Amino acid sequence: MDAAILAEGLGKTYRVKVRDPGLGGAMRALVHPRYRDVRAVDDVTFRIAPGEIVAFLGPNGAGKTTTLKMLAGLLHPTSGRAAVAGYDPWVGGAAFKRRIALVLGNKQQLLWDLPPVETFQLNQAIYAIPDADYRARLEELVSLLALEELLDKPVRQLSLGERMKCELAASLLHRPEILFLDEPTLGLDVTAQEAIRAFLRSYRDRHGATVLLTSHYMADVAALASRVLIINHGRLLYDGALELLVARIARTKRLELIVGDGVRREDLAPFGEVRTFSFPNATLEIPREEVPAASARLLAAVPIIDLSIEDPPLEEVIRRAFEEETPAAPSLAGGGTPR
Amino acid sequence: MTAVAGEERTPLRIWLHRYAALIRAAWLVDLQYRVAIGIWLVWGIMEPLISLGIWWSIAGHGSVQGWARDDFARYFFGVTLVNQLTLAWDAWYIDRWIREGEMNFRLARPLAPVHEAIADNLAYKARTGIIILAAWLLVAAAWPAVRIPFAPGRWALAAVAIALAAGIRFFSGFATGLLAFWTTRVSALMELQFGLSLFLSGRIAPLSLLPPVVGAMAAWLWFPYMLAFPVAVLTGEAMTTGAIVRGFAGQVVWLALWWLAYRVVWRRGIARYGAVGG
Repeated sequence: MDAAILAEGLGKTYRVKVRDPGLGGAMRALVHPRYRDVRAVDDVTFRIAPGEIVAFLGPNGAGKTTTLKMLAGLLHPTSGRAAVAGYDPWVGGAAFKRRIALVLGNKQQLLWDLPPVETFQLNQAIYAIPDADYRARLEELVSLLALEELLDKPVRQLSLGERMKCELAASLLHRPEILFLDEPTLGLDVTAQEAIRAFLRSYRDRHGATVLLTSHYMADVAALASRVLIINHGRLLYDGALELLVARIARTKRLELIVGDGVRREDLAPFGEVRTFSFPNATLEIPREEVPAASARLLAAVPIIDLSIEDPPLEEVIRRAFEEETPAAPSLAGGGTPR
Repeated sequence: MTAVAGEERTPLRIWLHRYAALIRAAWLVDLQYRVAIGIWLVWGIMEPLISLGIWWSIAGHGSVQGWARDDFARYFFGVTLVNQLTLAWDAWYIDRWIREGEMNFRLARPLAPVHEAIADNLAYKARTGIIILAAWLLVAAAWPAVRIPFAPGRWALAAVAIALAAGIRFFSGFATGLLAFWTTRVSALMELQFGLSLFLSGRIAPLSLLPPVVGAMAAWLWFPYMLAFPVAVLTGEAMTTGAIVRGFAGQVVWLALWWLAYRVVWRRGIARYGAVGG
């Protein structure tokens, strides 16, 4: 099957001016400007199939937004090539841009002083959407995102979550095949985050759109993405299923316990590392392969009221994945789903 | 996926629809800022009126190098209208688009950002032009000095000259604004252009009253074609056919050069764009 998004050896190097601190540094920079090359994205290769939702993860400055912007045709890469919806993003022009949507969590296209419906009408004209299609799509988006009450309120009076919902609607009226979403739930409360996630899932299911999103919220990743790309310092560290990453990185599991009367912290210590103890709750961390045996011994030796076995929090797994960068990078990259 | 929308419509209709929607949105936004826009308009009218007041008192009951009070009145009324119809403020917000990341979503749309700026200009000029024209007609009813000769042919030429002047001013501002791809000092460059244009375009005095060296310098630049020439055509200033032809030729050449500058700066700028600010 043809890829919806293909990146091959994609790289972006910025040339930045280097300046020593202070007035002297500023004067020297004026006379003898010095430059340094910064590799924001370095030899990144991946392929995303139509209809996939893939999360792009990495710490701030890792290169994920730069990659997204290259794939959306905003930035010209220094090296490598890309194909998105069958187009070269930098020469695809208007035909390419009609097939994609780029939603930036912190910079919005909505006309600030006017109700969102005005931006929708403007986008209808810009994307040349026929009237009947526009009405049908708007109706669908209004119902999926519950926008009815917001359409005629000026954007500046909407909450952050309401604005993001309208932003998504404005970006999807032309029914793009490919969605690039940069932090779509940034700063939203839990209810609004969940509404956006539910909408994205349902949009993908209805229209088969391919989604590449960045997010700092692991709940987004766990709820939406079947596959993750992890990038740090511009290099791709992992490409594969989320569960495989967890299994690979998280060498331990957590036993969440409710213990019976009289159980002390010391009673639990022989079975694993006691991470927290606040009677009657306790958390034990145990190497993954020892979990069945250790749990059985624990249940036999200590009064336990309730026990559940969980993976460590996803945030921690991802943080560890970022840290395993240098020597482990080749072994991490390439795992998971077939490419 | 469904077929790409809009394929069944002619490109002309698509473009007309786009411009109509952009102009409509610009007017709707303007309505939110009507007081601010009223103040800008008053300021735009004040500047030539102050110049008129100064030259009015200098001329007294005689004339300055052949310019009598009535000539100054006609000239500066012309300057007011032409200035408002050619005003271009784009460099300031393009600078912001680029520095603050507002260019990003514009680059992701199938419409070059220049069209949004052109539509914004058309919206402003249609609205302001009508207000100033109506005010001029009212004043002219009471004050014969500012009436311009009835000459529809000359008015048609003036309309073309004003359109070309607006084009030169727009593309020079837009191209300068795009320098924000390279430098953070775009507003300083625009202030410099603005300062020069005060003298070299004929805003504070008719060019023939400036020292000959300034006039000679102006003749080699685009400034007179942005204001002095269309004002002369509009107010019916005596001009030879040769001078009119040379004026239009100069306008066309400068428009072509600034359009070319815009294209070059745009292509190169976009290739080195860093897409800052999210």
